Amino acid sequence: MHNIRSIISLIMLALLLAGCAGTQSRNTDPENDPWEGYNRKVYAFNEGMDKVVRPIAVGYDKIMPDPLQRGVGNFFRNLDAPVTYVNLVLQGKFRESADTLGRFLINSTVGLLGFIDVASRLGIPFYNEDLGQTMATWGYDDSRYLMLPFFGPSTFRDGTGRLADSFYHPVGRVFHGSNRWGLWIFRGIDTRARYLDQDTELQSAYDPYVLMRDVWMQNRLYQIYDGDPPMLDYDIYLEDDYDPAEPATSDKQ
Amino acid sequence: MKLRVLLILGVALIFSSGLSAQIQADDPVSLVESITGQIFTDVTENLEEYTANPEALEDLVRNDLMPLLDINYSARLILGRAGRGLAQEKIDEFATCMTNLLVNRYSKGLLDFSSEIKLQVLPQRGDLNPKLTRVRTRVTLPNGGEAPVDYAFHKTPEGWKAFDVVIEGISYITTYRNQIMPEVQANGIDSVIERLNTGQMQLAE
Repeated sequence: MHNIRSIISLIMLALLLAGCAGTQSRNTDPENDPWEGYNRKVYAFNEGMDKVVRPIAVGYDKIMPDPLQRGVGNFFRNLDAPVTYVNLVLQGKFRESADTLGRFLINSTVGLLGFIDVASRLGIPFYNEDLGQTMATWGYDDSRYLMLPFFGPSTFRDGTGRLADSFYHPVGRVFHGSNRWGLWIFRGIDTRARYLDQDTELQSAYDPYVLMRDVWMQNRLYQIYDGDPPMLDYDIYLEDDYDPAEPATSDKQ
Repeated sequence: MKLRVLLILGVALIFSSGLSAQIQADDPVSLVESITGQIFTDVTENLEEYTANPEALEDLVRNDLMPLLDINYSARLILGRAGRGLAQEKIDEFATCMTNLLVNRYSKGLLDFSSEIKLQVLPQRGDLNPKLTRVRTRVTLPNGGEAPVDYAFHKTPEGWKAFDVVIEGISYITTYRNQIMPEVQANGIDSVIERLNTGQMQLAE
Protein backbone atom coordinates (compact mmCIF):
# COMPACT_ATOMS: atom_id res chain seq x y z
CA MET A 1 0.00 0.00 0.00
CA HIS A 2 3.06 2.18 0.19
CA ASN A 3 2.75 2.57 -3.57
CA ILE A 4 -0.61 4.27 -3.45
CA ARG A 5 0.72 6.83 -1.04
CA SER A 6 3.71 7.57 -3.27
CA ILE A 7 1.46 7.94 -6.28
CA ILE A 8 -0.83 10.34 -4.47
CA SER A 9 2.12 12.40 -3.26
CA LEU A 10 3.47 12.54 -6.79
CA ILE A 11 0.14 13.69 -8.21
CA MET A 12 -0.12 16.39 -5.55
CA LEU A 13 3.39 17.57 -6.27
CA ALA A 14 2.80 17.60 -10.00
CA LEU A 15 -0.38 19.61 -9.55
CA LEU A 16 1.38 22.06 -7.30
CA LEU A 17 4.16 22.59 -9.82
CA ALA A 18 1.70 22.88 -12.67
CA GLY A 19 -0.16 25.52 -10.70
CA CYS A 20 2.94 27.55 -9.95
CA ALA A 21 4.19 27.38 -13.50
CA GLY A 22 0.94 28.60 -15.06
CA THR A 23 0.27 32.28 -15.49
CA GLN A 24 -2.99 33.40 -13.98
CA SER A 25 -5.41 34.53 -16.60
CA ARG A 26 -7.92 36.01 -14.18
CA ASN A 27 -8.50 36.36 -10.52
CA THR A 28 -12.03 36.62 -9.20
CA ASP A 29 -11.09 37.14 -5.54
CA PRO A 30 -7.41 37.99 -4.99
CA GLU A 31 -8.03 38.70 -1.33
CA ASN A 32 -9.31 35.25 -0.37
CA ASP A 33 -8.08 33.20 -3.29
CA PRO A 34 -4.66 34.45 -4.43
CA TRP A 35 -3.81 30.95 -5.69
CA GLU A 36 -6.80 30.84 -8.02
CA GLY A 37 -4.71 29.75 -11.01
CA TYR A 38 -3.45 26.68 -9.18
CA ASN A 39 -6.82 26.05 -7.53
CA ARG A 40 -8.65 26.01 -10.83
CA LYS A 41 -6.24 23.41 -12.16
CA VAL A 42 -6.83 21.17 -9.18
CA TYR A 43 -10.55 21.78 -9.53
CA ALA A 44 -10.33 20.59 -13.14
CA PHE A 45 -8.35 17.56 -12.00
CA ASN A 46 -11.01 16.74 -9.39
CA GLU A 47 -13.72 17.16 -11.99
CA GLY A 48 -11.90 14.70 -14.22
CA MET A 49 -11.73 12.23 -11.36
CA ASP A 50 -15.40 12.77 -10.72
CA LYS A 51 -16.16 11.22 -14.11
CA VAL A 52 -15.10 7.94 -12.47
CA VAL A 53 -16.25 8.59 -8.92
CA ARG A 54 -19.71 9.96 -9.70
CA PRO A 55 -21.05 6.85 -11.47
CA ILE A 56 -19.88 4.74 -8.53
CA ALA A 57 -21.59 7.12 -6.11
CA VAL A 58 -24.79 7.02 -8.19
CA GLY A 59 -24.77 3.22 -8.14
CA TYR A 60 -24.06 3.18 -4.42
CA ASP A 61 -26.90 5.62 -3.82
CA LYS A 62 -29.30 3.41 -5.80
CA ILE A 63 -28.32 0.15 -4.15
CA MET A 64 -28.19 1.39 -0.57
CA PRO A 65 -31.52 1.65 1.23
CA ASP A 66 -31.82 5.05 2.91
CA PRO A 67 -31.73 3.78 6.52
CA LEU A 68 -28.56 1.84 5.78
CA GLN A 69 -26.96 4.85 4.18
CA ARG A 70 -27.88 6.90 7.22
CA GLY A 71 -26.21 4.23 9.34
CA VAL A 72 -23.03 4.48 7.28
CA GLY A 73 -23.10 8.25 7.70
CA ASN A 74 -23.48 7.81 11.48
CA PHE A 75 -20.62 5.31 11.52
CA PHE A 76 -18.17 7.71 9.87
CA ARG A 77 -19.39 10.66 11.88
CA ASN A 78 -18.78 8.68 15.06
CA LEU A 79 -15.23 7.93 13.96
CA ASP A 80 -14.58 11.69 13.80
CA ALA A 81 -15.55 12.09 17.48
CA PRO A 82 -11.99 11.66 18.85
CA VAL A 83 -10.76 14.45 16.57
CA THR A 84 -13.64 16.68 17.69
CA TYR A 85 -12.90 15.78 21.31
CA VAL A 86 -9.23 16.75 21.10
CA ASN A 87 -10.04 20.02 19.37
CA LEU A 88 -12.79 20.93 21.83
CA VAL A 89 -10.25 20.51 24.61
CA LEU A 90 -7.72 22.63 22.69
CA GLN A 91 -10.39 25.34 22.40
CA GLY A 92 -11.16 25.14 26.11
CA LYS A 93 -14.71 23.90 25.56
CA PHE A 94 -14.67 21.32 28.32
CA ARG A 95 -18.40 20.72 28.74
CA GLU A 96 -18.72 20.14 25.01
CA SER A 97 -15.71 17.83 25.01
CA ALA A 98 -17.28 15.74 27.79
CA ASP A 99 -20.46 15.49 25.72
CA THR A 100 -18.44 14.36 22.73
CA LEU A 101 -16.60 11.72 24.73
CA GLY A 102 -19.93 10.48 26.05
CA ARG A 103 -21.34 10.34 22.53
CA PHE A 104 -18.38 8.37 21.31
CA LEU A 105 -18.57 5.82 24.12
CA ILE A 106 -22.33 5.32 23.84
CA ASN A 107 -22.49 5.17 20.05
CA SER A 108 -19.45 2.92 19.71
CA THR A 109 -21.01 0.36 22.08
CA VAL A 110 -24.78 0.56 22.39
CA GLY A 111 -24.94 2.19 18.96
CA LEU A 112 -23.27 -0.83 17.35
CA LEU A 113 -19.94 0.73 16.32
CA GLY A 114 -21.63 4.02 15.62
CA PHE A 115 -24.19 2.86 13.06
CA ILE A 116 -27.04 3.96 15.30
CA ASP A 117 -26.83 7.44 16.75
CA VAL A 118 -28.16 6.52 20.18
CA ALA A 119 -26.56 9.58 21.77
CA SER A 120 -28.68 12.00 19.73
CA ARG A 121 -31.82 10.20 20.81
CA LEU A 122 -30.67 10.66 24.37
CA GLY A 123 -30.36 14.36 23.69
CA ILE A 124 -26.57 14.60 23.80
CA PRO A 125 -25.63 17.46 21.48
CA PHE A 126 -23.35 16.93 18.51
CA TYR A 127 -20.31 19.09 17.89
CA ASN A 128 -17.99 19.24 14.95
CA GLU A 129 -14.46 20.52 15.43
CA ASP A 130 -11.10 20.04 13.77
CA LEU A 131 -7.65 21.57 13.96
CA GLY A 132 -8.46 24.13 11.26
CA GLN A 133 -11.29 25.50 13.41
CA THR A 134 -9.07 25.39 16.49
CA MET A 135 -6.39 27.43 14.75
CA ALA A 136 -9.09 29.88 13.65
CA THR A 137 -10.28 30.38 17.23
CA TRP A 138 -6.66 30.86 18.28
CA GLY A 139 -6.43 33.85 15.96
CA TYR A 140 -5.51 32.38 12.57
CA ASP A 141 -8.99 33.36 11.49
CA ASP A 142 -8.42 34.17 7.84
CA SER A 143 -6.70 31.82 5.49
CA ARG A 144 -6.35 31.65 1.73
CA TYR A 145 -8.50 29.26 -0.22
CA LEU A 146 -6.81 26.04 -1.28
CA MET A 147 -8.33 23.39 -3.52
CA LEU A 148 -7.02 19.99 -2.52
CA PRO A 149 -6.77 17.10 -4.95
CA PHE A 150 -9.28 14.35 -4.00
CA PHE A 151 -10.58 16.20 -0.92
CA GLY A 152 -11.89 19.34 -2.61
CA PRO A 153 -12.31 22.82 -1.13
CA SER A 154 -10.16 23.88 1.82
CA THR A 155 -7.85 26.66 2.95
CA PHE A 156 -4.14 26.55 3.63
CA ARG A 157 -4.93 26.51 7.35
CA ASP A 158 -7.59 23.83 7.10
CA GLY A 159 -5.54 21.62 4.77
CA THR A 160 -2.67 21.70 7.25
CA GLY A 161 -5.06 21.01 10.11
CA ARG A 162 -6.57 18.13 8.23
CA LEU A 163 -3.17 16.53 7.74
CA ALA A 164 -2.36 16.88 11.45
CA ASP A 165 -5.76 15.52 12.50
CA SER A 166 -5.32 12.50 10.23
CA PHE A 167 -2.36 11.29 12.32
CA TYR A 168 -4.59 10.41 15.22
CA HIS A 169 -7.89 9.76 13.43
CA PRO A 170 -9.29 6.33 14.43
CA VAL A 171 -9.31 5.10 10.83
CA GLY A 172 -5.55 5.63 10.71
CA ARG A 173 -4.93 4.32 14.24
CA VAL A 174 -7.07 1.23 14.29
CA PHE A 175 -7.05 0.03 10.70
CA HIS A 176 -4.06 -0.83 8.61
CA GLY A 177 -3.11 -1.57 5.04
CA SER A 178 -5.91 -2.17 2.59
CA ASN A 179 -8.59 -1.97 5.29
CA ARG A 180 -7.57 1.60 5.96
CA TRP A 181 -7.55 2.57 2.29
CA GLY A 182 -10.78 0.72 1.77
CA LEU A 183 -12.45 2.70 4.56
CA TRP A 184 -11.21 6.05 3.27
CA ILE A 185 -12.38 5.24 -0.25
CA PHE A 186 -15.73 3.98 1.05
CA ARG A 187 -16.14 7.19 2.96
CA GLY A 188 -15.24 9.18 -0.13
CA ILE A 189 -17.94 7.45 -2.14
CA ASP A 190 -20.49 7.84 0.65
CA THR A 191 -19.68 11.54 0.93
CA ARG A 192 -19.88 12.01 -2.83
CA ALA A 193 -23.30 10.34 -2.87
CA ARG A 194 -24.57 12.94 -0.41
CA TYR A 195 -23.81 15.74 -2.85
CA LEU A 196 -25.43 14.18 -5.92
CA ASP A 197 -28.52 16.36 -5.54
CA GLN A 198 -26.49 19.48 -5.96
CA ASP A 199 -24.75 18.53 -9.20
CA THR A 200 -27.30 20.15 -11.50
CA GLU A 201 -27.16 23.45 -9.69
CA LEU A 202 -23.39 23.42 -9.69
CA GLN A 203 -23.14 22.63 -13.37
CA SER A 204 -25.76 25.18 -14.41
CA ALA A 205 -23.88 27.94 -12.60
CA TYR A 206 -22.11 30.64 -14.56
CA ASP A 207 -18.88 29.79 -12.78
CA PRO A 208 -19.08 26.47 -10.90
CA TYR A 209 -15.62 26.96 -9.42
CA VAL A 210 -16.69 30.24 -7.80
CA LEU A 211 -19.99 28.75 -6.63
CA MET A 212 -18.21 25.90 -4.89
CA ARG A 213 -15.74 28.31 -3.32
CA ASP A 214 -18.47 30.67 -2.08
CA VAL A 215 -20.59 27.94 -0.61
CA TRP A 216 -17.66 26.25 1.06
CA MET A 217 -16.07 29.43 2.46
CA GLN A 218 -19.35 30.70 3.91
CA ASN A 219 -20.19 27.37 5.46
CA ARG A 220 -16.67 27.09 6.90
CA LEU A 221 -17.02 30.48 8.58
CA TYR A 222 -20.30 29.27 10.00
CA GLN A 223 -18.56 26.20 11.47
CA ILE A 224 -15.73 28.27 12.93
CA TYR A 225 -18.25 30.49 14.71
CA ASP A 226 -20.16 27.40 15.89
CA GLY A 227 -23.21 28.36 13.89
CA ASP A 228 -23.30 32.02 14.88
CA PRO A 229 -21.17 34.11 12.51
CA PRO A 230 -21.50 37.90 12.51
CA MET A 231 -24.14 39.31 10.21
CA LEU A 232 -23.02 40.19 6.70
CA ASP A 233 -22.30 43.78 5.83
CA TYR A 234 -24.86 44.13 3.06
CA ASP A 235 -24.33 47.86 2.67
CA ILE A 236 -20.96 47.27 1.10
CA TYR A 237 -22.70 45.42 -1.74
CA LEU A 238 -24.42 48.64 -2.76
CA GLU A 239 -21.32 50.79 -2.76
CA ASP A 240 -20.44 51.79 -6.25
CA ASP A 241 -16.73 51.27 -5.94
CA TYR A 242 -16.90 47.95 -4.14
CA ASP A 243 -15.17 45.24 -6.09
CA PRO A 244 -13.87 42.10 -4.39
CA ALA A 245 -11.40 41.63 -7.24
CA GLU A 246 -9.69 44.92 -6.60
CA PRO A 247 -6.86 44.49 -4.09
CA ALA A 248 -3.83 43.30 -5.98
CA THR A 249 -2.16 41.28 -3.27
CA SER A 250 -3.30 39.20 -0.34
CA ASP A 251 -1.87 39.35 3.15
CA LYS A 252 -3.56 36.08 4.05
CA GLN A 253 -1.42 33.09 4.88
CA MET B 1 -32.19 17.93 -1.63
CA LYS B 2 -31.57 19.31 1.80
CA LEU B 3 -30.70 22.79 0.62
CA ARG B 4 -33.68 22.85 -1.64
CA VAL B 5 -36.05 21.87 1.14
CA LEU B 6 -34.61 24.57 3.31
CA LEU B 7 -34.91 27.26 0.72
CA ILE B 8 -38.47 26.28 0.11
CA LEU B 9 -39.09 26.67 3.77
CA GLY B 10 -37.35 29.93 3.56
CA VAL B 11 -40.24 31.38 1.78
CA ALA B 12 -42.85 29.13 3.28
CA LEU B 13 -42.03 30.78 6.53
CA ILE B 14 -42.64 34.24 5.36
CA PHE B 15 -45.61 33.47 3.21
CA SER B 16 -48.96 34.12 4.76
CA SER B 17 -52.60 33.97 3.78
CA GLY B 18 -53.44 37.60 3.93
CA LEU B 19 -52.21 37.51 7.45
CA SER B 20 -49.62 40.18 6.95
CA ALA B 21 -52.28 42.86 6.81
CA GLN B 22 -53.64 41.90 10.21
CA ILE B 23 -50.33 41.61 11.97
CA GLN B 24 -49.03 44.91 13.18
CA ALA B 25 -45.84 43.25 14.33
CA ASP B 26 -43.11 45.67 15.10
CA ASP B 27 -40.45 43.05 15.30
CA PRO B 28 -39.60 40.48 12.64
CA VAL B 29 -39.50 37.56 15.08
CA SER B 30 -43.19 37.93 15.95
CA LEU B 31 -43.92 38.48 12.30
CA VAL B 32 -42.29 35.19 11.35
CA GLU B 33 -43.76 33.38 14.35
CA SER B 34 -47.34 34.45 13.72
CA ILE B 35 -47.15 33.51 10.10
CA THR B 36 -45.49 30.13 10.41
CA GLY B 37 -48.48 28.22 11.76
CA GLN B 38 -50.82 29.80 9.27
CA ILE B 39 -48.83 28.72 6.23
CA PHE B 40 -48.48 25.13 7.19
CA THR B 41 -52.08 24.83 8.26
CA ASP B 42 -53.32 26.34 5.02
CA VAL B 43 -51.23 24.15 2.75
CA THR B 44 -51.79 20.98 4.76
CA GLU B 45 -55.56 21.50 4.97
CA ASN B 46 -55.95 22.32 1.30
CA LEU B 47 -53.26 20.03 0.01
CA GLU B 48 -55.56 18.15 -2.37
CA GLU B 49 -57.01 21.30 -3.84
CA TYR B 50 -53.57 22.82 -4.37
CA THR B 51 -52.20 19.61 -5.84
CA ALA B 52 -55.04 19.58 -8.37
CA ASN B 53 -54.65 23.25 -9.07
CA PRO B 54 -51.06 24.40 -8.59
CA GLU B 55 -51.87 27.80 -10.11
CA ALA B 56 -54.06 28.58 -7.12
CA LEU B 57 -51.11 28.02 -4.85
CA GLU B 58 -48.87 30.09 -7.08
CA ASP B 59 -51.36 32.96 -6.94
CA LEU B 60 -51.54 32.66 -3.20
CA VAL B 61 -47.78 32.73 -2.91
CA ARG B 62 -47.53 35.65 -5.30
CA ASN B 63 -50.15 37.74 -3.53
CA ASP B 64 -49.26 37.00 0.06
CA LEU B 65 -45.58 36.28 0.06
CA MET B 66 -44.26 38.98 -2.17
CA PRO B 67 -45.38 41.97 -0.06
CA LEU B 68 -43.23 40.60 2.75
CA LEU B 69 -40.10 40.33 0.66
CA ASP B 70 -38.02 43.18 -0.63
CA ILE B 71 -37.16 41.61 -3.96
CA ASN B 72 -36.05 44.91 -5.42
CA TYR B 73 -33.51 45.36 -2.69
CA SER B 74 -32.33 41.77 -3.16
CA ALA B 75 -31.97 42.40 -6.88
CA ARG B 76 -29.90 45.51 -6.27
CA LEU B 77 -27.63 43.67 -3.83
CA ILE B 78 -27.16 40.83 -6.30
CA LEU B 79 -26.44 43.08 -9.25
CA GLY B 80 -24.06 45.31 -7.31
CA ARG B 81 -21.80 47.36 -9.53
CA ALA B 82 -23.09 45.45 -12.53
CA GLY B 83 -26.42 47.22 -11.96
CA ARG B 84 -24.80 50.61 -12.23
CA GLY B 85 -25.87 52.42 -15.39
CA LEU B 86 -28.66 49.95 -16.08
CA ALA B 87 -32.07 51.39 -16.84
CA GLN B 88 -34.51 51.03 -13.94
CA GLU B 89 -36.80 48.93 -16.17
CA LYS B 90 -34.00 46.39 -16.64
CA ILE B 91 -33.49 46.09 -12.91
CA ASP B 92 -37.26 45.70 -12.45
CA GLU B 93 -37.31 43.07 -15.18
CA PHE B 94 -34.54 41.18 -13.44
CA ALA B 95 -36.40 41.41 -10.12
CA THR B 96 -39.65 40.19 -11.71
CA CYS B 97 -37.83 37.30 -13.25
CA MET B 98 -36.40 36.34 -9.85
CA THR B 99 -39.87 36.64 -8.34
CA ASN B 100 -41.38 34.31 -10.93
CA LEU B 101 -38.72 31.72 -10.32
CA LEU B 102 -39.15 31.91 -6.56
CA VAL B 103 -42.94 31.67 -6.74
CA ASN B 104 -42.72 28.67 -9.02
CA ARG B 105 -40.07 26.86 -7.05
CA TYR B 106 -41.62 27.49 -3.65
CA SER B 107 -45.12 26.53 -4.66
CA LYS B 108 -43.84 23.21 -5.92
CA GLY B 109 -41.78 22.73 -2.80
CA LEU B 110 -44.66 23.52 -0.51
CA LEU B 111 -46.75 20.81 -2.11
CA ASP B 112 -43.96 18.29 -1.70
CA PHE B 113 -42.63 19.00 1.75
CA SER B 114 -44.95 21.10 3.89
CA SER B 115 -46.39 18.13 5.75
CA GLU B 116 -43.03 16.58 6.59
CA ILE B 117 -41.17 19.44 8.13
CA LYS B 118 -41.18 21.07 11.54
CA LEU B 119 -40.07 24.55 12.17
CA GLN B 120 -38.98 26.49 15.22
CA VAL B 121 -38.41 30.23 15.44
CA LEU B 122 -35.69 31.24 17.90
CA PRO B 123 -36.18 34.33 20.06
CA GLN B 124 -34.46 37.60 19.29
CA ARG B 125 -31.15 37.95 21.08
CA GLY B 126 -30.23 41.25 22.62
CA ASP B 127 -31.88 44.49 21.62
CA LEU B 128 -33.56 44.72 18.28
CA ASN B 129 -31.52 46.71 15.81
CA PRO B 130 -33.91 49.36 14.47
CA LYS B 131 -32.84 48.92 10.84
CA LEU B 132 -31.36 45.50 10.18
CA THR B 133 -31.85 42.21 11.95
CA ARG B 134 -31.71 38.48 11.56
CA VAL B 135 -34.44 36.02 12.47
CA ARG B 136 -33.03 32.63 13.32
CA THR B 137 -35.01 29.43 12.82
CA ARG B 138 -34.34 25.73 13.16
CA VAL B 139 -35.87 23.32 10.70
CA THR B 140 -36.37 19.66 11.52
CA LEU B 141 -36.13 17.57 8.38
CA PRO B 142 -37.99 14.34 7.67
CA ASN B 143 -34.86 12.28 8.52
CA GLY B 144 -34.63 13.87 11.97
CA GLY B 145 -31.73 16.15 11.10
CA GLU B 146 -31.85 19.78 12.13
CA ALA B 147 -30.79 22.68 9.99
CA PRO B 148 -30.48 26.37 10.69
CA VAL B 149 -32.20 28.83 8.38
CA ASP B 150 -31.82 32.55 9.04
CA TYR B 151 -33.58 35.49 7.42
CA ALA B 152 -32.14 38.94 7.02
CA PHE B 153 -34.80 41.62 7.55
CA HIS B 154 -34.52 45.32 7.10
CA LYS B 155 -36.87 48.14 7.97
CA THR B 156 -38.51 49.81 5.02
CA PRO B 157 -41.10 52.60 4.95
CA GLU B 158 -43.69 49.77 4.63
CA GLY B 159 -42.34 47.90 7.63
CA TRP B 160 -39.97 44.99 8.06
CA LYS B 161 -39.15 43.05 4.94
CA ALA B 162 -36.95 40.04 4.33
CA PHE B 163 -34.30 40.21 1.64
CA ASP B 164 -31.89 37.33 2.27
CA VAL B 165 -32.05 33.69 3.32
CA VAL B 166 -29.00 32.21 5.02
CA ILE B 167 -28.80 28.44 5.28
CA GLU B 168 -26.00 26.92 7.33
CA GLY B 169 -24.14 30.16 6.93
CA ILE B 170 -24.59 30.27 3.15
CA SER B 171 -26.17 33.52 2.05
CA TYR B 172 -28.41 33.41 -0.96
CA ILE B 173 -27.51 37.00 -1.83
CA THR B 174 -23.74 36.58 -1.57
CA THR B 175 -23.73 33.35 -3.51
CA TYR B 176 -25.89 34.55 -6.40
CA ARG B 177 -24.24 37.93 -6.46
CA ASN B 178 -20.89 36.33 -7.19
CA GLN B 179 -22.42 34.36 -10.05
CA ILE B 180 -24.71 36.94 -11.59
CA MET B 181 -22.58 40.07 -11.29
CA PRO B 182 -19.72 38.77 -13.47
CA GLU B 183 -22.18 37.20 -15.89
CA VAL B 184 -23.98 40.52 -16.34
CA GLN B 185 -20.66 42.29 -16.80
CA ALA B 186 -19.54 39.75 -19.40
CA ASN B 187 -22.76 39.01 -21.34
CA GLY B 188 -25.16 41.79 -20.43
CA ILE B 189 -28.35 41.80 -18.36
CA ASP B 190 -30.58 40.58 -21.22
CA SER B 191 -28.63 37.39 -21.60
CA VAL B 192 -28.88 36.71 -17.87
CA ILE B 193 -32.62 37.40 -17.80
CA GLU B 194 -33.01 35.08 -20.76
CA ARG B 195 -31.09 32.33 -19.01
CA LEU B 196 -33.20 32.75 -15.86
CA ASN B 197 -36.46 32.75 -17.82
CA THR B 198 -35.68 29.65 -19.83
CA GLY B 199 -34.70 27.75 -16.72
CA GLN B 200 -31.10 27.28 -17.78
CA MET B 201 -30.02 28.74 -14.50
CA GLN B 202 -31.29 27.10 -11.34
CA LEU B 203 -31.96 29.78 -8.82
CA ALA B 204 -32.38 27.73 -5.68
CA GLU B 205 -30.28 24.87 -4.45
